[in-house]
Amino acid sequence: MPPKLLEVQRAFGDAIFRDEARLADHIADNGIAAADRLRIYRNTAFSVLTDALRLVYPSVSRIVGTEFFDGAAAFFIRRHPPTDAYLGNYGGEFAKFLSGFKPASGVRYLADVARFEWALNVAANALDAAAVDPTALASLPPSAHDAVRFVPHSSVSLLELKYPADRIADAVMARDDTAMAAIDLDSGPVWLVVHRGVDGVEARRFGETEWQFMARLCAGAPLGAVTAAYPQVKAGPLLADHLLRGRFCRFSVSRELPEETS
Amino acid sequence: MGWLEVHTENYMGGGRPLEFLTAIRRDYAISLHGVGLSLGSAEGIDRKHLEAVRRVAERLDPCAVSEHLSWSVVGGIYLADLLPLPMTEEALRVICRNIDETQERLGRTILIENPSSYIRYRHSTIPEWQFLDAVTVRTGCNVLCDVNNIYVSACNHGFDPLAYLDGLPATRVGEIHLAGHTARTLANGATVRIDDHGSRVIPAVWSLYDAALARFGRVPTLIEWDTDVPDLSVLVAEAAEAQRRLDQTGRRTGNAAEAA
Repeated sequence: MPPKLLEVQRAFGDAIFRDEARLADHIADNGIAAADRLRIYRNTAFSVLTDALRLVYPSVSRIVGTEFFDGAAAFFIRRHPPTDAYLGNYGGEFAKFLSGFKPASGVRYLADVARFEWALNVAANALDAAAVDPTALASLPPSAHDAVRFVPHSSVSLLELKYPADRIADAVMARDDTAMAAIDLDSGPVWLVVHRGVDGVEARRFGETEWQFMARLCAGAPLGAVTAAYPQVKAGPLLADHLLRGRFCRFSVSRELPEETS
Repeated sequence: MGWLEVHTENYMGGGRPLEFLTAIRRDYAISLHGVGLSLGSAEGIDRKHLEAVRRVAERLDPCAVSEHLSWSVVGGIYLADLLPLPMTEEALRVICRNIDETQERLGRTILIENPSSYIRYRHSTIPEWQFLDAVTVRTGCNVLCDVNNIYVSACNHGFDPLAYLDGLPATRVGEIHLAGHTARTLANGATVRIDDHGSRVIPAVWSLYDAALARFGRVPTLIEWDTDVPDLSVLVAEAAEAQRRLDQTGRRTGNAAEAA
């Protein structure tokens, strides 16, 4: 009985990502060993996926060097093969992987740079969606303001990083050694909001409480509760900044979960 | 250049790439060439991916939508290459079912491209050209004939490339691909030809292209070059060479073909 297609495809997957040999039983030799033939497919897959990772993590690749990056990527790809043929979404676990990758432990800020670059990638690839029109919000009666809940644009990421990964990535991408040398790795955590607005992808630093204010709003908490929780935050200007830069795509006025408004 | 082709998967996100492509679309017809639907998957196709293809097609109103006679997904894992199918009745049923679903969801006829391959399965029973012909008969899809892939596979597996062309349903060939490839010598001295889209079309493939045009008539033709991309002038010169050969071909009724 010839093997079922599904069995052949499972064996192929195991040959690519687990170096298993059983697929060779189904392959004609014809002058070249099955293992050598399969290596062509494995090389293509790893090369495509390594390139996809390098596109998302260019600073990480420059910091550790191409050869080291390729090696780390090979470990990562085996542990986290892509679950989607759209590779714009591939590699989201790389920061977590790097934080546990012993050979990279000497570069203590590496995982934070990866977190930052993933947020840039999410922002760049997020599907287009119209931002909340601030005039629609302004037309609400003041009594409704406390009950407003926002939905962040899908490009928005909120990052709380131990190291100044935004400055590090900028210096690395600009190959600016002076700027790199001037970065104080022990300057304390940074709070970032990354998103794609009308001017493209932006990464902005915020104070800790302003960042938490935004994080609560993005989690769907009503505006009244958030402003009450952070009385020291200048809510008006902060909210105006988020709205004008297009960080929210919907709002609703209700005690319920946010729904689409037009 | 008459038209342009892009990988559908490169435009599944939003932002700048899609914005630029939408602007280009105002001046050029665009063909969407997918590499991720995995039409040969025994487990069926990823509906989410199909929906993403539908979304890109809706946005760009492409002149053609194409995919491959291959598979790439098993157990929810994407294997990042166009992998060959065993040429069996079972695989034929699987890919036809998946093409039916795709054409129904997209509301249009798609083109299916012959891939290059580096292996042959022991249990294959149908020549690839017969398999592809049967796919067109059963699903109503058209053929994207990649002449370079025929040449590459013919060299790798030792079949006659002209027999492949003869076996295709001439009236169903709606597009032709041309590309460069690499001949790699392995440790045992054997040569494998690898389809890498990184150089000029070789003379033997141009000759096979002429043979294809003689059989299929004036079919829109694309130069694929997506690794080590050269100066635009080199690419345009390759397209002009294809156009020159197209222009020497007898006109097929009602089909104005251009090279891209």
